[in-house]
Amino acid sequence: MSTFEGTLLFLTIALPFFGALALVFFPADRHGLIHWYTRAIAFVGLVLAVYIFVTFDTNGGLDKYTVDFPWLPVLGIRYTLGIRYTLGLSGITAPLVLLNAIIFLAGVLVSWNVTHRPKDFFVWLTLLVSGVYGVFLSTDLFFLFFFYELAVVPMYLLIGVWGSSTDFRAQEAFEGRGFGGGGKYNRPKEYGAMKLMLYLVAGSVLVWVAILAVWAEARSVTGEATFAIAALADVEYSENFQRLFYPFFMVGFGVLAGLWPFHTWSPDGHVAAPTAVSMLHAGVLMKLGAFGILAVGMVVLPDGAEWWAPVLIGLGTVNVLYGAVSALGQRDLKYVIGYSSVSHMGYVLMGLGTLEVIGLNGAVFQMFSHGIMTGLFFAMVGIIYERAHLRDITVLEGLGKRMGVTGAFLAAAGLTSLGLPGFSSFVAELLVFIGTFRTYPILGVLAVIGAAITAVYILRLLAKVFFGPISPRWEGLQDATKLEAAVGGALVGVLLLWGLYPFRIVEIIDSGVKPLLESMGI
Amino acid sequence: MMEWAWLIPSLPAIAFAFMATLGRRMPNWTAVAATGSMAVGFVLFFFVFADWLGAKSFPDDYTFIYSIDWLRAGDAVLTWGMWIDPITLTMLGLVTAAALGIQVYSWGYMAHEPRFTWFFAVHSLFAASMLALVMADNLLLLYIAWELVGICSYLLIGFFYDRRSAAEAAKKAFITTRVGDVGLLIGILLLFKETGTFELSAIFAALEQGALSEGVVTGAAILMLMGAIGKSAQFPFHVWLPDAMEGPTPVSALVHSATMVVAGVYLVARVFPFFEASDTASLVVLCLAAVTALGAAAMALVMTDIKRVLAYSTLTDLAFMMLALGAGSLTAGMFHLLLHGFAKATLFLGAGSISHGSEQTDIRQMGGLRRRLPWTALFFGLGALSLGGIPPFGGFFSKDEVTLAVFHGQYGWVFLIVALAVGFMKALYMGRVFFSAFLGRLKPENEHAHESGPSMLAPMLVFSVVGAIGGLLAFGWSEGYKGFGYFVFAGDHQEGFHLNWWIAGASTLLAVAGFGIAWQAYVARKLDTERVIARVRPVHTLVANKFYVDEVYQWAIDRVVLTLGNVIAWIDRAFVNDVGVNGPGIVTELSGKVMRNVQTGKLYSYALGMVLGFLAVAVAWWTAV
Repeated sequence: MSTFEGTLLFLTIALPFFGALALVFFPADRHGLIHWYTRAIAFVGLVLAVYIFVTFDTNGGLDKYTVDFPWLPVLGIRYTLGIRYTLGLSGITAPLVLLNAIIFLAGVLVSWNVTHRPKDFFVWLTLLVSGVYGVFLSTDLFFLFFFYELAVVPMYLLIGVWGSSTDFRAQEAFEGRGFGGGGKYNRPKEYGAMKLMLYLVAGSVLVWVAILAVWAEARSVTGEATFAIAALADVEYSENFQRLFYPFFMVGFGVLAGLWPFHTWSPDGHVAAPTAVSMLHAGVLMKLGAFGILAVGMVVLPDGAEWWAPVLIGLGTVNVLYGAVSALGQRDLKYVIGYSSVSHMGYVLMGLGTLEVIGLNGAVFQMFSHGIMTGLFFAMVGIIYERAHLRDITVLEGLGKRMGVTGAFLAAAGLTSLGLPGFSSFVAELLVFIGTFRTYPILGVLAVIGAAITAVYILRLLAKVFFGPISPRWEGLQDATKLEAAVGGALVGVLLLWGLYPFRIVEIIDSGVKPLLESMGI
Repeated sequence: MMEWAWLIPSLPAIAFAFMATLGRRMPNWTAVAATGSMAVGFVLFFFVFADWLGAKSFPDDYTFIYSIDWLRAGDAVLTWGMWIDPITLTMLGLVTAAALGIQVYSWGYMAHEPRFTWFFAVHSLFAASMLALVMADNLLLLYIAWELVGICSYLLIGFFYDRRSAAEAAKKAFITTRVGDVGLLIGILLLFKETGTFELSAIFAALEQGALSEGVVTGAAILMLMGAIGKSAQFPFHVWLPDAMEGPTPVSALVHSATMVVAGVYLVARVFPFFEASDTASLVVLCLAAVTALGAAAMALVMTDIKRVLAYSTLTDLAFMMLALGAGSLTAGMFHLLLHGFAKATLFLGAGSISHGSEQTDIRQMGGLRRRLPWTALFFGLGALSLGGIPPFGGFFSKDEVTLAVFHGQYGWVFLIVALAVGFMKALYMGRVFFSAFLGRLKPENEHAHESGPSMLAPMLVFSVVGAIGGLLAFGWSEGYKGFGYFVFAGDHQEGFHLNWWIAGASTLLAVAGFGIAWQAYVARKLDTERVIARVRPVHTLVANKFYVDEVYQWAIDRVVLTLGNVIAWIDRAFVNDVGVNGPGIVTELSGKVMRNVQTGKLYSYALGMVLGFLAVAVAWWTAV
């Protein structure tokens, strides 16, 4: 590592990684210290990410961001299998790094009320975040996979220990129509944690198999052992090999992106997770899956990607519609948002499936803006849950009277979600639509219809929970604190900024997408 | 000044940003920021207008285009720009004037409202979005503004959010229009796919050169029409507008006169070349408009809430504009839009003045209010006469233009009869609402009713006078302005104002008859309305229940859409999750339980196993050999 920019990338990952390890040695009862320490790490991370994003040079010149050193030789081992610790930045990863930094800081700030073993909580959370940075920045498949696992595994503990269970039996009898009509629905947090873990590990297995296959195939073709994505992408694999192994990447990473029908871990996981984890999970972790398909699957096996693209875009469309319609039938606030994430990740998958420059731009932009939006969603729902101790839409009523600020931010997230112009999701979805219309117009029509269904479930939710006369039971609720309101305001600000002025961020994404498509030969 | 015209929508948008963020801290600056920005916009409009009349050497005949890059992705360059032509200018004048007047009115009307700031903030954004909508030079920006108009109306209709009915009405308005917007967006994307651009000038050029196939032209026109009839509340998307009066009255005035609902008509006018190119699309416009006009006029006749009567009358008039556009007359459509805007603003502000001064909204509870609200009665009367189509008031001229245009359009005779019939009904319900509210005997419970203050009366005065004398705009005044028909078509096929004495005579007779019958029924009381109703009881019930369209939709949403949602949600849990995901889990667990029995730890079990295994191998080997 040599350049200043390279050092920044290295620090982006190292800071939370070693920061988390250092936090282990903190005294467990100094809650304030632990909170402030984590906030500081998150804040410095944000500063780094903003710096990287703002100074990003779209006219190439990405070499200066490269970090590269052999790994095992550093430890004195000579046989390396071609593994190197290499980092790099592209127009695709710069916004995603920024997204991760924003959501991490926001998540830490709204976690001021975590008082149950906060040290352990923040250790795992910070470790998870360093894993996410690692996936985005690694250009070596071995380390990409290592960081991928690092991002996924802490989730199990975070949900299993700090999560919350869904149990409608304990709440009021349910009188209206809707899912779970009898009012019996019980999902302990351990269930959510276990399911999420098994699912993601199953996906990882597929990815790992594909990585090893690609590595072995590349070595047999070129005679050289390497895990470097760029080098692996240059290898000419046979068509059959590509078609056989691309689905391993597509489905393996797709599981984490909520690809239908492997999505059911996601709503359960979101619901069981504590606020900050839900934010990171839906906001950033699901993007790792889509990012993997794009930056690993498509780059390394372009012919396979082309052959499987209709399946990907088709499943993405199913995601959009199925998620939106399922969200209509939910009664737990978090389940609504969980299914809405399934639906919105569908746009990302559709954009990836277009294999077309505008569609891919849209997919990446949608990753970013859905991340911010869903972070905002979960933050606000967390605030409601923390005060009302339930999330049942059929019971919450007219909260706007007492929780105006929370309601306004939740409404902003909702309007973003239904694709209101002015918020960045509109731009992202528009690009996906354009890409889809150019390739599969019928699916484009279905995607637009999906956005209309979103309007139905979002507005029903807002009308039910925030509007109307307040029920006396909620008269005593406190609105968001100043800190929470500031977090909400900042997230809305980001959505508005890129919604009204998407020029710069799309320029950056475009500078990453174009060479990627060129390398794929499209 | 032309290149500064973007300030007209930008200033209210900035005012919104200011009020939404700092408004609570500086409540006194609210009205100043809102009304000030509108006033500047209104003044700017005149400069732009004068500039336009003065300069006639724009690149594309009489159209001024100016744009900046908004986004570049791949091979697409998306821009934000303005397009100023006579249609834009007409709309700019109407919207700035209406929004300004209604804001002044709101000083008085909303004075005691605790969320005063929020009202003015959203009101400003509403006007800003509408102004951006009419100035957009490309379909994407138009769509963006279009959606913002929609969301502002959502926020304003739901202004009294703690009322269940307001929350429901807001939701209904947004979702209904959103269904139409699906069509609009698909239409826009279809055009982008075909032409590679959102820009109107390029799309029109492609249309002229015949680069678009007939199917695409008709398809795009009908898809965009879907958005237009959603916003303009035409059948079958009309259900949201009457409920939208849950918002404060100034909002209704703005929604019904200059923003929101006229956006749909404006859209059809803006992409008019598509409708000119496709007879099928035009015929669809005509048919939907005819159905809407007749149905809405019938409903306006039986409603008893003053704002509901006015709401259905708006539906009728919008359908009238659509009739003109469907028949191929841009001039008549835009002219009726302009004059209707002023008259309808007057009527809604008048209705607000009545409910402000007397707490009444049901016309059966009113009567004789002219004694207590003389000025309101005068202005309301002018508006009613104008919309009723009595010469020489403005509405007569525009109605006549529309009727004539319809006669010259496709299936002229059929739609002429519709237009004449609707013209009669318009006069009848306008007479009904005015007479039963202001004439006759004052009811004792209305003794305390009082006239509104000057800030509320002044805008009504201006709007009613403009609406009344607006017919003059049809005629040429000078070399620069040769009449509305010449103005709207600036360069090519110019249309002067012309009268067909037969049609004008017939429609005037019908209008007078309408007012006459209303007079007999509600003032002279020679005609017993109860008996009339009794005679046509089933029809009356059908119309009074809004043809049960709302019920059908409600049923469809509850029973079809939500059921689908519940079923899919159930399938996801019970099948995809519990069978597909938990299933393998359970199978693994069960197989573990079964296999566990193999390891009992008992020596004789293992011995038995060994013997059986040995035997099995022996038998297998023996049979194989």
